[in-house]
Amino acid sequence: MTGHLPQDPHLLPAPAEWFAPDAERHYLDRPRFCPMCAASIGEHGGITTEYWTGDTRNFMTWCGECGWFGEVVRFDRVTITEEDH
Amino acid sequence: MLTVEQNNELTQVGPGTPMGELLRRYWYPIAFEQDFDKVPSRSVRLLSEDWTLYKTPSGRYGIIQERCAHRRASMTYGVVHEDGIRCGYHGWKYDVDGQCVEQPAEAENQNFKDRVQMKGGKAQTMGGMVWVYVGPDPAPELPRFDVFVKDGIRDVGYTTIPCNWLQIMENSVDPHHVEWLHGYYFNFVGETNGFEAPKAFQKKHIRTGFDEMEWGILKRRVLEGSTEDGDDWKIGHPLVFPFYMRVGGAYIDQMQIRVPIDDTHTWKLFYSTHNPGETLDVQDRPVVYEYLWKDEEGRFITDYIEGQDIMAWVSQGPITDRTQEHLGRSDAGVALLRKMFKENMRKVAEGEDPIGTIREKHEIINLPCEKDKFGAERTFAAAWIHGGSMRYSPIKEQLLELHERYWAGVEAAEKAGAGA
Repeated sequence: MTGHLPQDPHLLPAPAEWFAPDAERHYLDRPRFCPMCAASIGEHGGITTEYWTGDTRNFMTWCGECGWFGEVVRFDRVTITEEDH
Repeated sequence: MLTVEQNNELTQVGPGTPMGELLRRYWYPIAFEQDFDKVPSRSVRLLSEDWTLYKTPSGRYGIIQERCAHRRASMTYGVVHEDGIRCGYHGWKYDVDGQCVEQPAEAENQNFKDRVQMKGGKAQTMGGMVWVYVGPDPAPELPRFDVFVKDGIRDVGYTTIPCNWLQIMENSVDPHHVEWLHGYYFNFVGETNGFEAPKAFQKKHIRTGFDEMEWGILKRRVLEGSTEDGDDWKIGHPLVFPFYMRVGGAYIDQMQIRVPIDDTHTWKLFYSTHNPGETLDVQDRPVVYEYLWKDEEGRFITDYIEGQDIMAWVSQGPITDRTQEHLGRSDAGVALLRKMFKENMRKVAEGEDPIGTIREKHEIINLPCEKDKFGAERTFAAAWIHGGSMRYSPIKEQLLELHERYWAGVEAAEKAGAGA
């Protein structure tokens, strides 16, 4: 999915800021719609908080429209750790 | 990690902001009763607005916006009446609801005063403090949380911290910081400065859990050496939405209070009630004192628990820039708290009561809290008093003696029982 950065540069950290690329990626990649009811997260008062585990980016998401609360996980690579067998 | 818009929405507490409207649905402690022993009125700042808090001759309290609607002079230097307050500049008088009722220099037969309404609120006392509500009517009941109303010796440390209240609240749903900031780092400070840091805070977390409950979020933990049968998991303790954390152990019950003064300042109180069960000579009022968090050279004081927390909160910046954070799985509680704030902003926007609103008269609200904290049992009281903000208390030695006496009695009874 492509996205674009907001027009106003002051809505994000300045490009020279150390973690500006992470902030940009969060803005572009965060879930925009509820996985349950498809309502807009932003327009219906929801929130998504990003946290990392290993190489994975997780978005803990709450929908302000239907109340769905869960995690949306973004994969760059699907990895499976084999259990002992 | 959040967007700029989300961060602004969560941290701005002024009138008309979504968070400001939510926070105005709650009562806040804003002064101590002893602050009015010598003067009848004081300026206070709450939720990014300036107010005049006043005490009438009969002992009732009122709150009104600080600047007079006439020419914007401070009402704090006005004349307090039993039924309101009069501006000292030109005598405009306002009733307890902020309605203008007299304008001495204006003609009586005009309806000018009827068209002048200042912002006001409700004020009452509890636990030795003056509490105010500056939200819309009808005001809810002031919640009588156990720490403020149960019997015991009361000890209240306070200070003003130059940071937003939300980053302090996020600390309360971040259990892992205890083993690092108050364990590993505290131990490092001790080794560097030649003292032994309390061992109770150095235990590793095996498991943490968060339950949404009627007053906020109940936190649980299992530390190494303990199991889910221990108080830390079985009972836990709550973050009380939206600005408290309830903690306790070894017969000390404490409410940690974070009053949002404005977007970049918080009034931070540790309200402790000590009651190990013996007959106490209880004071009429709590002992109140300011605790320190910076030394003469301007460095953070980090050889005690709350000083370490304050270092972390203040050094995060006046308002933490959450577009620049990198959260991990261990920060799940922080994400849960943010969701709770958004959820309750939405309730308020839709005309509903947010979580923690109580409209029935009541005597006491008992909150769940561990008795045996961190598995430290009887050593916890002394460790907390020595290693926490209570070390600045003018009655620190009395509190230590109180707890030592109690536990000496318990040990004596145990020995007598064992010998029988």
